[in-house]
Amino acid sequence: MKPKVAFFDFAGCEGDQLQVANLEEDLLTLLGQVEVVSFREIMKEHNEDYDIAFIEGSCTRLQDEDRLKQIRKNAKIVVAIGSCATIGGINALKNYKNLDEVRQIVYGESARLFDTYAARPIDAIIPVDAYVHGCPIDRNEFLQVVKSLLLGKKPEVPNYPVCVECKKNENICAFDRGQFCVGPVTRAGCNSCCINEGTICWGCRGLIDNPNENSQKEILIKYGLTVDDAIGKFKLYFGWQEGKR
Amino acid sequence: MKIISKDEFSNFVDALIKDEKWNVIGVKAKGDKFAFGPLENANELRLDYDVTLLPPKKYFFPQRETLFTYNLADGSSAKNPETKPSVIIGVHPYDIVALFHMDEIFRDTKSDPHYFEKRNSTVIIGVNMQKMSKWNFAPYMGCAIVDYGYDLMLTDLGNRYAISVGSQKGGELLSKYAKNVNSALARDIQLVGQKKREIMNMSQQKFDFSTEMIPELLKETYEESGFWEKHAEKCLACGSCVLVCPTCYCFDVKDNPDLALEQVERIRTWDGCLLEDFAKIASGENFRPTRPTRYRHRYFKKGKYLFDRFGFISCVGCGRCSSNCLPNIANPVELFNDMYHEIHSKGVKVSPAQTPEVNIQTEGNIDYVPRLATIINKTVMTPNETLFEIKMDDGSELGHKPGQFAEISVFGIGEAPISISSPPTKKGSFEICVRKVGNVTNKLHTLKVGDKVGVRGPFGNGFDVDALKGKDLLFVAGGLGIAPLRSLFNYVVDKRKEFGHVVLLYGCKEPRELLFSKEMEELARRPDVEFKATVNWCPDGESWGGNIGVITTLIPQVSFDPDKIYAIVCGPPVMYKYVIADLKARKVPDDHIIVSLERRMKCGVGKCGHCQINQIYVCKDGPVFNYSKIKGVPEAL
Amino acid sequence: MKDEKGCEKNLEIKVHYVTRVEGHGNIYVNVKNGTLEKCEWSIPEAPRFFEAMVVGRHWNELHHITSRICGICSIGHTLASLKATEAAMGITISEQDLKLRKLALHAENLQSHILHIGFLVLPDLLGVGSVIPLATSNPTEVKTVLSLHRMANEMSNVICGRTTHPQRLIPGGFSKIPTMKELVALRKRLQDSLSSIEAVANLVESTAKFPDFKRETEFIGLTSADEYALYDGQLASTDTGNAPVKEYLSYTNEYIVPISTAKRAKHARDSYMVGALARFNLNYEKLSPFGKKVAGIFGLKPICHNPFMNNIAQLVEIAHSVEDSIRLIDELEATGLKPQPEYHKLDIKIKAGSGVGAVEVPRGILFHDYTYNAKGVCTKANCIIPTNQNHGNIELDMKALIPKILDKTPKEVELTLEMLVRAYDPCISCSTHYLTVNFV
Repeated sequence: MKPKVAFFDFAGCEGDQLQVANLEEDLLTLLGQVEVVSFREIMKEHNEDYDIAFIEGSCTRLQDEDRLKQIRKNAKIVVAIGSCATIGGINALKNYKNLDEVRQIVYGESARLFDTYAARPIDAIIPVDAYVHGCPIDRNEFLQVVKSLLLGKKPEVPNYPVCVECKKNENICAFDRGQFCVGPVTRAGCNSCCINEGTICWGCRGLIDNPNENSQKEILIKYGLTVDDAIGKFKLYFGWQEGKR
Repeated sequence: MKIISKDEFSNFVDALIKDEKWNVIGVKAKGDKFAFGPLENANELRLDYDVTLLPPKKYFFPQRETLFTYNLADGSSAKNPETKPSVIIGVHPYDIVALFHMDEIFRDTKSDPHYFEKRNSTVIIGVNMQKMSKWNFAPYMGCAIVDYGYDLMLTDLGNRYAISVGSQKGGELLSKYAKNVNSALARDIQLVGQKKREIMNMSQQKFDFSTEMIPELLKETYEESGFWEKHAEKCLACGSCVLVCPTCYCFDVKDNPDLALEQVERIRTWDGCLLEDFAKIASGENFRPTRPTRYRHRYFKKGKYLFDRFGFISCVGCGRCSSNCLPNIANPVELFNDMYHEIHSKGVKVSPAQTPEVNIQTEGNIDYVPRLATIINKTVMTPNETLFEIKMDDGSELGHKPGQFAEISVFGIGEAPISISSPPTKKGSFEICVRKVGNVTNKLHTLKVGDKVGVRGPFGNGFDVDALKGKDLLFVAGGLGIAPLRSLFNYVVDKRKEFGHVVLLYGCKEPRELLFSKEMEELARRPDVEFKATVNWCPDGESWGGNIGVITTLIPQVSFDPDKIYAIVCGPPVMYKYVIADLKARKVPDDHIIVSLERRMKCGVGKCGHCQINQIYVCKDGPVFNYSKIKGVPEAL
Repeated sequence: MKDEKGCEKNLEIKVHYVTRVEGHGNIYVNVKNGTLEKCEWSIPEAPRFFEAMVVGRHWNELHHITSRICGICSIGHTLASLKATEAAMGITISEQDLKLRKLALHAENLQSHILHIGFLVLPDLLGVGSVIPLATSNPTEVKTVLSLHRMANEMSNVICGRTTHPQRLIPGGFSKIPTMKELVALRKRLQDSLSSIEAVANLVESTAKFPDFKRETEFIGLTSADEYALYDGQLASTDTGNAPVKEYLSYTNEYIVPISTAKRAKHARDSYMVGALARFNLNYEKLSPFGKKVAGIFGLKPICHNPFMNNIAQLVEIAHSVEDSIRLIDELEATGLKPQPEYHKLDIKIKAGSGVGAVEVPRGILFHDYTYNAKGVCTKANCIIPTNQNHGNIELDMKALIPKILDKTPKEVELTLEMLVRAYDPCISCSTHYLTVNFV
């Protein structure tokens, strides 16, 4: 019996489900291993009977919590996919703002009509069994996780920083290019894809288990950022994790 | 020595590229840095570089390589396709020395076929440094110039290169692909000598003492935790220093199935001892949990442990670690100078280290491919532990000694080290007692009788059975520690007459965690074995008639002659120091205490680095150790 | 309004709560005694507040952050964002980078349109729920669609680094550019895809049965004298003519409806439409020959007021984008690709200012508008998203359509409304969601 798989989304951009749709021929191979019962991005059908639930997006309001709890109840395995679901993602940027003000900026006088609370990852609401980090997720890593689950293995998520992959890829360090990178404290697994393309690590996969945050901030400042900007670098993706620490 | 014009040298390189027989690799510009990469034409070659981002070791020990591929359904494996021979152009002398270090490490005891296949089919064309990175201190390490390890060695003499031919392979390459190669005149030979002398003075780094003192300095500093904490305070544990190192060789091994779940690649990837999970075992225990201890390990490995075994400090002074360390704490020159001054200020006199006696032997190749075996019996012992009886498919015996372990492959998941629980006296099959702690062991528990597993080994140093003959034996087992001890204990019981008084002390947390309970009951009835069991506590609803308390509470209950008794101890990491202290209090001599240790034994053959405790590889030198030999090894117990 | 038995009809359509701005919509339709009493198209999406989140962030981060507004048109968001920042800072980009950015936009339009036509419209036309059963029933068609989609994705990879949230697009140009070798290989694939595109067009033509529905509306998009405007141009309306992009606010006139977390827009009428059909209507003459040829297969001519034909306009744009990309690569090859340092170093003078960036993305015109202080920190931002501009038009289309289809069975009403929503391609997820129709 092929395991039944369902996809769900909360506050996010749906870019992660798009990565799955973008698997092309691999998607067809994957369909030989699993039965997709719900995947709104590409199919009409929906079914509440599933074994593995992939959840994209953060929880940003109270009313979404019940839906998450229902998914947890239905699924044997819950997998958070994408930064919004695994660490709160870019949504957590607003957690640093006065939420009333945020609503005011976007919706003006009608602000009171729109609910919101601090953006949070899925595991702030329900237990999560596996994570596919990244904004967006890496298609290969997604497949690695699916393969692991199919084989009855707990998917391995690296607990080392992006520098490891960046060195293996023989990139020139972003700092040597006059840029500011949070790769030394960010969880690897992306194959240092942003630095490979000539930019920086923005931190989308979240902090490693035991980051040396003081040292990282010192480095940012040593290479020329102001204290506020160094802190700003951490706010971009680490908002929820920092709030918890 | 030969001379070739630069134009002809370019033609030589282009001729090599044109001949599809070779992978032609050379130093190329990458942004304002340099890297080894495949050459499309000779113009890309930048022999005036200072240092490359990664050393050329990536061609022999790649960042990621497939060891072999196997079929998920039946475990049958296929060999890798053969690789094309390579020519690597532009290797600096320090990187040539580093390759020599790698050669020694990869041939130690057993030779690594994946490394040497590539190494032996590659031609190295070295070049003497024209520029030196500001971090480079190769002259201090004796690695700035080299007279071995290359096939050809170039020295830039303006409009021409002087070429030293270092091997027949190099000479043949030159005569086949190069034109207008002349013998060097005395003037050019002199010029090369002058260049080399200049190189020896090019370093911008400065050691305040002779680098030959490094091993001794380290010895004096191990316990100075303040020193290491100070230096490692800013360490990000990012692993950059070890990943760019030309002599680092630690690796991880993983299984990577294809999407159709038919074929599985077993791959090895670079790993690094600075990374947090490097010495962490499946049960969660981390034997080097803090940044300072990992930071210290790196320096000790380079400057002391490898020196003691191979006779060289495994640092060639390339300076890559220094230049890649963002908090700027990885420069060995700064660290060792600081260490020297600190030791000196304490009035400790340190002299150059004596070169140790080196005797590296190679006995055959490492076989990374497991042999197929079948589970023929499965006995569930507790909810978490099961005893598996396994038979080799080719009908052979595993051929182990008591105390050895095997690497067990669960197909599609990976490989894990598991100690053998049955004595060698049991023929036709062997037993392993496995606790569910990680992916491999969890999956193993779901396998059924008749299912296949892979077996590599036996590995390691078992118990010296002959030395124990005629002796009184005190077995002390805690929890799953009974699993490896059982291989010896049952052997002793099978050959009962050959041993003196035999005592088994066995403890676990609570009665339902007791392993081999049937065997224990039988033991308790035997007149020729003294058996005592204890539990830490007995919860309501469980019954227990024996001792309650930790394992050490049993030691006062047995009497023995400390000079005649040999204590054999195995249990969870926390247990050793208490048991050993009690044994010592009972006057048991250190060399009468034998321990079996658990670490993250990944390769099983002393290469991957994960199980290393100070200078010792548990997989190769252990897991069984005489306490007297490791009591001075701080990370051991 | 009466049904076939001559009874005055009651009909209630309710779509349960679904989420996301570009994704989900609520539909509520109530017909009592044959009179349409209520028709609402609302978006109950969990709001994400990007305009507030970017305040306080640096000029070189905004494109990264606002890309995350939408995973499907992240290249478009990135480009609109970069154009706004570059306008504010007075940054110009090279001719070569301009061509590469146009290729990036083509890649995204191709990827999105192919996904829409191939994964969503095609299954509908072939009478199944998704592409999944098609993989076994129509392997050839699925293979064609997948290979086109893969080509579009690989085009994004080659130009932008990846398909979603592209890394290489940065203020002032590219952090890394493709090699000529990669571009030549891409051109070969583009050329090879022309026949597949024609095959898909013919397949759609032979199966498509779109309702013959027409409602006059205003179409808004970019227009340019030089080309079929996607990356750059003037603001254009089929009702009122052209205006500079910086006057966008007088076109979009966003307003908030209490039932919806997505804003709406209106200009000369109560609503307007943006997207492929708007672009087609505004810029037909600038389509490439192959684009016009595909339009000819369907007899599509401007100005078309049937929103269902947006599907076909997307097909036309697929043809145009492939042909125009080939042209761009030809031009890059002719001038030779100027190498840039492996890692692009920015030489940008930060200054205070405001800038608007407008780009045509798959679903229509997209505006980003930023104000920066002297430190290059964003103090104010406004993003106007195509789907939001279409919401009002969707609702008005529904109001016009429902009375005309009341004679149909509830199932057919439901399907027709679904097809209407899907034609706008508001987002993949939205357009595949079932609408439930209840007769009271």
